[in-house]
Amino acid sequence: MNTKTIVAGVIIVIFLIFGAWSFLESNVEYTDFQSAYETGRTVQVEGTWVEEKGERYNADLNEFTFYMADKNGQVVRVVLEGPRPNNFEIATSVVARGRFAAEDEFRSTNVLTKCPSKYEGSAEEMMGASDKQYYE
Amino acid sequence: MIGSIIIKIAFLGIIVSLGAYYLSFRNQNQKFLTYARAGYHTAVVGLMIASAILMYLILTHQFQYTYVWSYSSTTLPTGLLAASFWAGQEGSFLLWALLAGLVGVFLMSYSTNKGYEGQLMFVYSMIVGVLLLMLIVKDPFMRVWQSFPGQVEAGFIPPDGRGMNPLLQNYWMVIHPPILFVGFAAMGATYAFAVAALLKKDYTHWVRPATPWFAFGVLSLGLGIMLGGYWAYETLGWGGYWAWDPVENSSLVPWLIGLAALHTMLAQRRSGAFVRTNLVLGILTFVLVLYSTFLTRSGVLGATSVHSFVEPGWMAYILLLSFIIFFGGFGLLLLFVRMREMPSVPIEYNYISREFALFLGAASLIFIALFTIVGTSSPIITNLIKGQVSAVDISFYEQTTTPFGIAVAFLAGFAQILWWKSSKTRTILKNMLPALIIGAAATGVMIAFGLSTIMMILLTFAAWFVLIVNIQIAYKIGRGNPSFVGGAVAHIGVGLLFLGFITTAMYDRQQTIQLVQGEPVEALGYKLTYTGYTPAGHERWAFNVTAERNGRTINLAPVMYQSDFNNSLIRNPDIVNRLTFDFYLAPLGLDTKEIEGVAGSTHILNRGIAMAYEDYSITFVGFDMDSDRHMMGSSNEMVIGVILDVTYDGKTERVVPEVVNRAGEMDFRPGMTADAKLQFNVQSIRPDQDNPDRSSVSVEIIKGGTKLASSGPARTQDVLIVEASIQPFINLVWLGTIVAIIGLIITIVRRSREARPKDQEAWG
Repeated sequence: MNTKTIVAGVIIVIFLIFGAWSFLESNVEYTDFQSAYETGRTVQVEGTWVEEKGERYNADLNEFTFYMADKNGQVVRVVLEGPRPNNFEIATSVVARGRFAAEDEFRSTNVLTKCPSKYEGSAEEMMGASDKQYYE
Repeated sequence: MIGSIIIKIAFLGIIVSLGAYYLSFRNQNQKFLTYARAGYHTAVVGLMIASAILMYLILTHQFQYTYVWSYSSTTLPTGLLAASFWAGQEGSFLLWALLAGLVGVFLMSYSTNKGYEGQLMFVYSMIVGVLLLMLIVKDPFMRVWQSFPGQVEAGFIPPDGRGMNPLLQNYWMVIHPPILFVGFAAMGATYAFAVAALLKKDYTHWVRPATPWFAFGVLSLGLGIMLGGYWAYETLGWGGYWAWDPVENSSLVPWLIGLAALHTMLAQRRSGAFVRTNLVLGILTFVLVLYSTFLTRSGVLGATSVHSFVEPGWMAYILLLSFIIFFGGFGLLLLFVRMREMPSVPIEYNYISREFALFLGAASLIFIALFTIVGTSSPIITNLIKGQVSAVDISFYEQTTTPFGIAVAFLAGFAQILWWKSSKTRTILKNMLPALIIGAAATGVMIAFGLSTIMMILLTFAAWFVLIVNIQIAYKIGRGNPSFVGGAVAHIGVGLLFLGFITTAMYDRQQTIQLVQGEPVEALGYKLTYTGYTPAGHERWAFNVTAERNGRTINLAPVMYQSDFNNSLIRNPDIVNRLTFDFYLAPLGLDTKEIEGVAGSTHILNRGIAMAYEDYSITFVGFDMDSDRHMMGSSNEMVIGVILDVTYDGKTERVVPEVVNRAGEMDFRPGMTADAKLQFNVQSIRPDQDNPDRSSVSVEIIKGGTKLASSGPARTQDVLIVEASIQPFINLVWLGTIVAIIGLIITIVRRSREARPKDQEAWG
């Protein structure tokens, strides 16, 4: 093996290690509040909105606050930096991406809502459309 | 029904073509070519007829066909109605197959006089055949009672279709997918060239006829990607033209590989090196197109991609996976078998030669492709390793691709200055000097304007460098032989693109703003005022915002509406396009805000009788029962407008506060004068059915300030929340794209001329 091959090989390995490191660093895991709190990393937590505790949008700070229960039932106050997410009220579950800023505050940059979707057509929908037509 | 049969006939045609092409080169017998061509042409004609039938079914609203019912409706305008042809999976594959088939007709005549037809079209027929196989499995001509057996009676015709996904309802939907699929088809041709070279055992000469096709692939796929980016920017409100979304990334990867191959092929033509590299890259182009389709169409990315437009299907999943294994395995196995007999020409180890610079540039492109594909596949990778699906953050792409982007930009300038084999260091330095000086000066200016990180400074310098060098070269070559100017022009485009990437990424400013109706807000150099919403057709709402800057006022009307199709809020931005920047306004939501301490006085207004209120004269003109006044999303409410003529200082304007009757519950929406000085809240209405002239209303009038309140229990104002941003010099991105395309077209013309048999040595 000549020196050039070794140098080229080393450079490539360095790039690959750099890539692998970035991958692990920027990988946003799905997890629960407990481990999000322990690790302090930016994660995604899936859960449901605790409706009884309400929700509030602070227009001056542009922050949306609500309480969310993760899959273990742990309830945490979530502060989203932004307006109320789409379809928040009708969502079956929400995914909050962020990290713990304080013991009782999960600071989120993005909240996705999952809704009962009509994305795929169904036979009921087709018949429903015909019923509507019939009655009109 | 007839459509499905025609697809099957087309598939038989391809089988004939495959067999006959195989025999033609196996037995060196030209006779088989006649059958092969007939088979291929049968398939193409079949695809054309099948496409025409599907288009006819869509345009005539034949909703008994599941595909027509699923993706179109009677309310779509004609352009979008036609585009619903490719709004779903089955139709997309039909469009892809059709365009691949048509591209193949050109490929056939192109390859005939180059002695390549047998092997090339054999491989290409496999690609068309596989797409046809996909269409047999995912049949676009299914009837609804076949798709929902037992649930829908045979012969049932749904009265209307489900319509098109609102995210796709845009004129870009008409042109973006066909161009992208032409790119996919061209990447099929590049694969066919590489594998045909292996079948023919011709590892050196194939690059010459293949070069224009690689350039064409880079051109069409690149244009498709950029149109997609523009679509995202202009309509989807992603806030930029590039979001590292899986849909975008997965077409970027084959494009980068095709681009790398285009460069190493040039090096192979000169030095004979990169024989294996070029064959591997050629094979990868199409395999990566298939992988791209697999990622975006099979639903494998699942919840991690918000933007997967097509519903998943297990059948598509398994088929696409087997296609990837088949085409990848076939090409790479053949390469492995033939490996020993290939000529081995070492890479020119003179470090300041054009070959070496091209090699480094191509390697950088391949690294960008590698990191992009790893990032995009991260849900699959994490699922395999940890059994848990998760995606990488966008920072991963930025972090990993920027260093290689710098290398690409710098080398795209450096390689142009170098001569083949070797160059004199002095000449190189002399030629680089103007670009180095101007580049350093321009970068200095941009640092003064706030460029900070080392990576961005290097990238900026490299971008200026590639731009200036290539302007120099284009000028020099252009005076001598303009037909050779393609490379330099394309790289000028690259320089402009890089500068556009930098200005929009580093100098963009954005701000989330609350616009209380009628209250001006200063933001990003504009004075923004939300004036209220107006219907924008098809149950959509335009939110009118006036933007004032240097005494000029522009109206922006971003659109927001609740879509029944996928139960989500759709938001379309509005853009002010200026030469040096775009002002971008994306709506985020409409909220209400309670206000306190505003009191007014209540007055009874009789119809037609002017009432004096301070310096104003106010007349109740009548009621407005226009159906356009229906509120968003709800149809079981009645809205009555109270028309008031307000005269002040000799000028009269019309203000229409509203009363909403929602199932017996009354709600009131205020109206205000244009200068927002006077506000009217309806308290009650007393219409007189028999004698309309005797109707009267009770109105609360609030003067002073710009507060807007609604009467009733809660006093609230509408607050429009928008994200405003300035995208500086975004026009550089579009300009760079156009210039690069012009350069590529010049290159394609030149390289196809060079590929003519008379210009070259024996083909074998």
